[in-house]
Amino acid sequence: MSLIADVHLTASRRLTSLRVPPTVAVSFVIIALVIAWSLAPGLFTSLSPVNGIPADKLLAPGTAHWFGTDHLGRDLYTRVVYGTASSVTSALIAVVIAAVTGGLIGLLSGFFGGWVDIVFARLVDVLLAIPHFLLAVIVVTAIGFDTTNAAIATGVSAVAVFARVMRSEVIKIRQATFVESSFLLGGSRWHILLRHVLPNASRSLLPLAVLQFGLSILVIASLAFLGYGDPPPASDWGLLISIGKDYLKWPWLVYAPAFLTIATVLSVNRISRWLRKTD
Amino acid sequence: MSGPYLRYAAKRLVQALAVILLAYVFTFVVVSILPGDPITNVLRDPQNGFTEDEIRQIIAAQGLDQPILVQLWTSLSHFLTGDLGLSVRSSRPVTTLIAEVLPSTLVLASSAFAVALLLAATIAYGTQFLPKRFGQGLLRGFPSLFLSVPNFVIGLVLIHVFGFQLGLFRVIAPNSFWATFFAAIALGIPISAQIAEVLIANLDHESGQDYAAVARGRGLGQFRLFAMHLLKPSSLPVVTIVALTIGELLGGSLITETVFGRTGIGSLVQRSVSTQDLPVLQAVVSLAAVVFVLVNLIADLVYPLLDPRVKLVGGPKHRPTTADDSSAGTPQAVTS
Repeated sequence: MSLIADVHLTASRRLTSLRVPPTVAVSFVIIALVIAWSLAPGLFTSLSPVNGIPADKLLAPGTAHWFGTDHLGRDLYTRVVYGTASSVTSALIAVVIAAVTGGLIGLLSGFFGGWVDIVFARLVDVLLAIPHFLLAVIVVTAIGFDTTNAAIATGVSAVAVFARVMRSEVIKIRQATFVESSFLLGGSRWHILLRHVLPNASRSLLPLAVLQFGLSILVIASLAFLGYGDPPPASDWGLLISIGKDYLKWPWLVYAPAFLTIATVLSVNRISRWLRKTD
Repeated sequence: MSGPYLRYAAKRLVQALAVILLAYVFTFVVVSILPGDPITNVLRDPQNGFTEDEIRQIIAAQGLDQPILVQLWTSLSHFLTGDLGLSVRSSRPVTTLIAEVLPSTLVLASSAFAVALLLAATIAYGTQFLPKRFGQGLLRGFPSLFLSVPNFVIGLVLIHVFGFQLGLFRVIAPNSFWATFFAAIALGIPISAQIAEVLIANLDHESGQDYAAVARGRGLGQFRLFAMHLLKPSSLPVVTIVALTIGELLGGSLITETVFGRTGIGSLVQRSVSTQDLPVLQAVVSLAAVVFVLVNLIADLVYPLLDPRVKLVGGPKHRPTTADDSSAGTPQAVTS
């Protein structure tokens, strides 16, 4: 009897814990749309992102052109949809670089301590001391201007944050009872590191990675805005805004891509906050 | 000034110096070892019209024919004596180039800093006085909204609305009062969000403490509770966060200066990036690191004096292993 009640209780608790606040649900819908755009832009628009109709240039947003048209008569909505893939992929590249490199540094320095820790801690201090946007700028200058390199630079500039969080997480877990018992049962250092510490510590990187995804979109957009990404006719969101700034008399050229960038980053941040709370 | 404090101060000072030196080396490695040879590429660009002889002279003057470690050593020792080398492009001392544009950036950065502090305080303290149902949620949403907007977009919107629509300032006069004012707002808004988030979290934490409940039980109104009890303990820890935002201020000025067409460190960096003027980049990045490290050093040294609850950790023998302790031995408030 009590067993059934228990089962019932845990089941219902699991359901309530899965209940998603409305703002988070909206965020997921926006992110789903953005992902769909980046996977299959052709499904959402039948126009060309590169070739425009010069007669239709600089039209205001309306039913024919949702976001209006640009100075070459290209449909802005189409440009935004086709630019999504590049913006999303580059942010993903940045997050993967930051999370893997930073995570590894944090894992090793937290787990082994001693000299490893001291060396990595200084490296992290240095990375933190250089303003991260400036760091991204010099890295992209050194490796060349295109969107993938901008993504790599953004990733490098975020390594330190992940290293810090991972290190403190690893130190916390290293002192846990189950790690001690695994050690007493004869588990080797590598076994403990890979089987116990890594999986547990990586969990806390998830909300951070999601947050960093949003931040990376902003940093990559800023790099594209300064002209350090792919040149036109690419249509990364930052580049679209950058082109739009020269046509401020037709403000939708700035507002439409900016609105999408903001909506995406806001959604990502909301999801990250929700993940941190439910964890 | 007690013994532990002096030991802590000495340790932080040594650490700060080490980080500055390492930051210089790191930047040097990034700009000089990565693939390609941008300096000679730019020099050989026929558009620049240097003869082979002049190129050889420039290379020798810059010491680019030396082994990389020798180059690092000379440039590091020059850096320590305050000599930042010559610009590849204009052959003028980098220190002069920086000194020319620094005042403009300082004006922008300090006004943006003031905007950020004011805005953060308004948002965070405002949450204490608005009813939960009406307005407070909105106010609490501001920081995450601010953090989701690229700061060049804020700048462009301000230029569009206040410059073009309302005609408050002319875009072609970027150093006028109103143009500087709006540039400072564009730069300050994302920074205010970070400070406001921490302030709000601290206020929530403090108002949940027992002493706050006791004060409420004694019949203290919201305003007096805030002014007499919550304000100080929730605002003091922000000192260290504020110091951390100095980097954002420097990085953000790069974009804001471009958007508003101001000359400054940001536009200097932009120009040096497009001409691959590495000595200038190296100097700006190292100086940014120096500023960041010094500001944080001051914050870390002053903070324990401001807040008596702080326990100094990170002595030479006793290596702290608490999870939330950073390796830099930052002061931590013990409130439990």
